[in-house]
Amino acid sequence: METIRINDNVSVTSISMTKLKTTSIGVYIHRPLKAETAAENALLPYVLKSGTALCPSREEIAKYLDDLYGATMGATVLKRGEDQIIYFDAETISDSYAPDGEKPVAGLLKLIMSAVFDPYTVNGAFDEKIVEQEKLNAKDRIDAFMNEKRQYASARCQQETARGTSFAIPRYGEKDRIDGITAKSLYEYYASIMTSSVIDIYICGSGSIDEAAAAVREYTDKLEFSPAQIPSTEIITRGGGELHEVTEHMDVAQGKLALGFLTNVRPGDKDFFALTVFNSVFGAGAHSKLFNNVREKLSLAYYASSQLEKFKGMIIVNAGIEFENFQKAYDETLVQLEEIRKGKITELEFESSINAILNLCNSYFDDQRALVTYYVSDRVAGTDMPLEAFIEGIKRVTPGDVANVAKKLRLDTVYFLAGKEEA
Amino acid sequence: MELTFRKNELTGESMYCGVHSSGLGIYIIPKKEYSGSYAIFGTRYGSVDSKFIVPGETEVTEVPDGIAHYLEHKMFDQPDGSNVFDKFSKYGGNANAFTSFNITAYLFSATANFEENLAALLDYVQSPYYTDETVAKEQGIIGQEIRMYDDNPGWKLFFNYINCLYSKHPVKKEIAGTVESISHITADYLYKCYETFYNLSNMAIVITGNVDVDREIKVIEAGIKKNEPFTEPIRKIYPEEPAQIASPYAEKKMAISSPMFMMGFKDTDVGMDGKSLLKKNIEISILLRMLLGKGSAIYKKLYDMNLINNTFATDYTMQPDYGFTAFEGESKDPQRVYDIILDELEKVRDKGLDRGDFERAKKVMWGKYIRSHNDIEDYAVTFIQLLFMGIDYFDYYDVYKTVTYEDAVDRFNTHFVRENSALSVVKPL
Repeated sequence: METIRINDNVSVTSISMTKLKTTSIGVYIHRPLKAETAAENALLPYVLKSGTALCPSREEIAKYLDDLYGATMGATVLKRGEDQIIYFDAETISDSYAPDGEKPVAGLLKLIMSAVFDPYTVNGAFDEKIVEQEKLNAKDRIDAFMNEKRQYASARCQQETARGTSFAIPRYGEKDRIDGITAKSLYEYYASIMTSSVIDIYICGSGSIDEAAAAVREYTDKLEFSPAQIPSTEIITRGGGELHEVTEHMDVAQGKLALGFLTNVRPGDKDFFALTVFNSVFGAGAHSKLFNNVREKLSLAYYASSQLEKFKGMIIVNAGIEFENFQKAYDETLVQLEEIRKGKITELEFESSINAILNLCNSYFDDQRALVTYYVSDRVAGTDMPLEAFIEGIKRVTPGDVANVAKKLRLDTVYFLAGKEEA
Repeated sequence: MELTFRKNELTGESMYCGVHSSGLGIYIIPKKEYSGSYAIFGTRYGSVDSKFIVPGETEVTEVPDGIAHYLEHKMFDQPDGSNVFDKFSKYGGNANAFTSFNITAYLFSATANFEENLAALLDYVQSPYYTDETVAKEQGIIGQEIRMYDDNPGWKLFFNYINCLYSKHPVKKEIAGTVESISHITADYLYKCYETFYNLSNMAIVITGNVDVDREIKVIEAGIKKNEPFTEPIRKIYPEEPAQIASPYAEKKMAISSPMFMMGFKDTDVGMDGKSLLKKNIEISILLRMLLGKGSAIYKKLYDMNLINNTFATDYTMQPDYGFTAFEGESKDPQRVYDIILDELEKVRDKGLDRGDFERAKKVMWGKYIRSHNDIEDYAVTFIQLLFMGIDYFDYYDVYKTVTYEDAVDRFNTHFVRENSALSVVKPL
């Protein structure tokens, strides 16, 4: 891994991975997640990928990419803790696999840099037609949040657990903010953030870092930057208190139960390794206690699992159940947590959990996006830990550490997506 | 056993393959620089295979719908009461299985202890153990899996769509069956299906990633249990499917934000496998890119009219005996999308296909093929799916290079036929 700092805000990092036949490029523009700007940050990538100075329309971009053997370029917004990231992702076959000796990597770099730094504009504003279309699409995206019930229940539980913090703001922002955005106001916003944000660019595969840096400098040399930082996130440390209970009704065939636990562990804490292993023992996989008890022993669910939201220090448990089995599934989840607290972790459960995490981490070395995602997340969390060091940290965890960290968990929120309300 | 070595100069990949005396097909594609490795052990048996004649018998066997999927779940129970996941978990293998219309497959990925995981895979897939008690236990879990799909609008959209296209073929049925159909499944039925479709001569194993050919082949040879290969094929019985569609339109209301649609064409040029099937696939994929890709005039028109957004996508599903294209997305007015696409396709028919578009779309197919080598899991799954259709994915180029503009024109005329089209819509409540 090699990094070139273009200036105080912008950096280019190269990760070589020539065993893959592709090269991928990622651009991450870090913005604080705030109610006032969340919708603009979410709209912006969709406008930027619809027209660039190099290819002023969607069709021209699509044809340009198809000519590079079907290279891809996408743009969206990510939410990592309270960092709302405007994210571009592009991928092409590496030069050595282009049958006629073309240079698809250079071609793709040129397009993505044009999309990020040199959008298609009309009289100092974005193209009005593009902006109006993407405003409609942005509203649809916000509305579509409810469509996938399993993810919806999980995300709603995260929001409820993170109530009162910026993390409760949805990834795509709020719909009522969209109407006020114009082609001119969005362009002005874009121009202001491009020089006042941390921008991380990654090239992974067979690309040359110097070539990538040169493609970036072509644009950044003309700009004046002001100091910027990566937005930081604090975990939730709400003290004890009443359980926060939320029930929503929707016309669904299956109830979705989600439990939000606070862990009091930060990504940089010594305990974080034990928390990661705890999550695996508790509910991350077919070896876990939730899978083997809620699903296999009691036949209550097809899925019953836990996931770690490390930036906010939360663990969310999800299960799809018959409505009337709410209490059974809830009780069994807490019973399993109690078992871990008491140190009742079998050798097999423990070993399987460690191995599952190691297997996942090692697989990142075969996956350009996964590896880059790890490092972006590491940067946002401020942990500064190479993947190899994270793997070593996991190997040092003991069953006792897992039992101890389990004692830190406190159930904060119970969310239930129930069926249609009885009239 | 003897393995054949093959090398592909265009991709740089190597493959070792052969057929074991048990009838099992073995395919190993080593990628030494990878951290991970992957194995998939599959059978030519899916949700459409509920009616068949066992080799050596004359009577037709008919079993409840959803049984292939049920059997997949029950393979994880072991005679000693243990759960197979435990074995993989111990060795750090990430094990899973899936059932599709035509395939059931058992798989794992690992970054360590590959041989131990491989031995575990071979062992459990060859160790059926079903009792009425363990079979009954699964009713609750699969019942919840079916319920989960009941709440999935994309899944409902898809099944309503293929129910428009097909009136008889079992592809129209839900893979997991229904809560009612699975209530009839017994241990005896499971054994009957197992003894038929899990004969090793009906199966194949594909291994890729950081593996050692000599070591893996030893593990496989040691892991193969006694098996008498069938000397005649399993006769799968499908009802006669008429060429015409069952219904042009389906609609369902669910708790969603805006209408979703899926439309496309029933493939009536079926009954082929191997190279001709792959060639048809490449032709249709090229046409979908040319006609409905992001750079196409139809996409632009619909997008500019705010009738589609960037969830719009196209796909072609193929098997020797059925096939269909599917275009899906979200729209305020699905019927209008349908009408515009069909009208615009008529205009293309009059004007002719653009040669430049054809060449560009063909390049995209090559890029996709190259890219498909990246992910060992995706590659192995694609490889085995195509293998079971008689297609050699390793030598994709041999077929790819033969596809001409004229082939695309012919395919356009046979596939994109208005009478064979249908529209499925899921609307908000």
